[in-house]
Amino acid sequence: MGAEHIDTRLPEEPTERSQDLHSDTHRITRGARTGPAAAEAASKNDITALETAAALENLLVSLYRSAVALPFVKNGPKTVAEFFDTSAQHHQAHAKAFNEAAAKAGGQAQTQPDETYEAVVTRTLPSVRTPADVVRLALHLEDAAARTHTRNVTRVADTKLRRLFASVAPVEAQHRATLLAVQSLLASGHESLIEIPTDAPRLPAAIGSATIPEVFQPIANARPMSEGAIK
Amino acid sequence: MRRARGGWELPISEDRLGRLTKEMTEAHHDTLPAMRADAASLAERLRALGPARRGGRPVSEDRAGEDRTAGRPAAPTAADRVTAENRPGGSGPADAGRRRFLLGAGSLGAALLLTGCTSAGTDEKGASPQGEPPEVLPPRAAADTVMYTAHLRFVALSAALENQAVGAYGSILAAAGADRFGAVPPAVSTFVTMAMAHHIDHAKAWNAALTDAGKPAVTDVPLSNQRAITTALDRVTSVDDAAKLALQLEDQAAQTYLFAGYNGKSAAGIETAATIAPVEAMHVSILRFILGQDPVPEAFLPEDLAATPSLLTV
Repeated sequence: MGAEHIDTRLPEEPTERSQDLHSDTHRITRGARTGPAAAEAASKNDITALETAAALENLLVSLYRSAVALPFVKNGPKTVAEFFDTSAQHHQAHAKAFNEAAAKAGGQAQTQPDETYEAVVTRTLPSVRTPADVVRLALHLEDAAARTHTRNVTRVADTKLRRLFASVAPVEAQHRATLLAVQSLLASGHESLIEIPTDAPRLPAAIGSATIPEVFQPIANARPMSEGAIK
Repeated sequence: MRRARGGWELPISEDRLGRLTKEMTEAHHDTLPAMRADAASLAERLRALGPARRGGRPVSEDRAGEDRTAGRPAAPTAADRVTAENRPGGSGPADAGRRRFLLGAGSLGAALLLTGCTSAGTDEKGASPQGEPPEVLPPRAAADTVMYTAHLRFVALSAALENQAVGAYGSILAAAGADRFGAVPPAVSTFVTMAMAHHIDHAKAWNAALTDAGKPAVTDVPLSNQRAITTALDRVTSVDDAAKLALQLEDQAAQTYLFAGYNGKSAAGIETAATIAPVEAMHVSILRFILGQDPVPEAFLPEDLAATPSLLTV
């Protein structure tokens, strides 16, 4: 088989499913096991989840910081630049919280970005030309973070960590809703309405419907727990 | 042999990759024999039970003799959500299949109790957002028969909150239709319609958990603050007032489910709370944007506005 036939994406899906399955199995069987070994395994699992979460947050911080430096963002709608800046601060706070929790659980701080998505950002960022391009890229990452953190609420063993993931996931979803609103306004030519306070009576109907596309936060395609783990 | 692709080299040979994938698959197969063996039959059982649950009929007719203790996984909640997630934009069939798999595993019995995911440190009554035990029984209910106990009080509370939101949005739509607010911005109209539909689906999810546990669904608003909400709705005279009231309810719902998400007693219950809270938080963001406020005001969702089960009057 020639090199052109190798698609490295192929093993990703079964690998992700396998890792998810493994983590779920681990969680399910935890109740049946007792003793230090079970506690140690649960803690290790939690640390892995925290490291991956921090890696995703690090990448989002990096993306938003890069974005605010782009000339068309700096000179574009002020509210968009401010939102990117605020979002970077939020993700910085999330990364700090995940890393502190990891350290408390006996792990290390993850200071590197998620490698899988970093490759996407590295590949895409040089070709972005408009605020809408950056918004699309940010949506991709916020969606991944929201799915992963929501999934982790059910994957981690420690109640405090569950609380942490449960308090961060909705904020990523809020970033996503806001980005979807901005995307919708940019696409419909209502750039002037991207401001706070906005002119509510002039907002198009899509702002009320296209900004929350799902009834339940999806968790399919959440990043595998080990994706951003420290190696 | 290394294969170059777009400047990137596969760091191992195809044969080696194939062997590793095979070994990984086999390792999982070795780990999960009992669960895998039962997954298909459980998925069939869940499918068979689906229509009854969707109709809100108590499961006692279908599953007489089964354990319906509070700690048992609220399977229908997740199963119903599988239906919701198969809609466009939702999670795909692969996830649904895996969820059924987990639900199947949950019923295997003592060796593989899903309730084992509950943290050992979690009190049976849960803990308040401030870490203190909440007042679980309402004054009236304590004196009479309490319909929903233990963690099911949170489920019942959640269903009641959803019904309250549905009713509030319904009132707002009716008032707008009666021209009480003057011109209603198109974004507000679509938002109210969408949010109401979301809350109807959320209520179904919570109620499925109740009926599966042998408890009646919460079909009205048995909350001690309902009179105040109704009075406030009657006094609303503008779109802004209506949006502010809706925001109050959405904040309360999102924060309540955050609390429920980390204090849940079953995997399905935790997942239900965890996957609804972000959607309510998105409602919050859009309402705040419409009201001219920062759509994402905090880095972490707070819990100070979370409802406690003491609000429940049944």
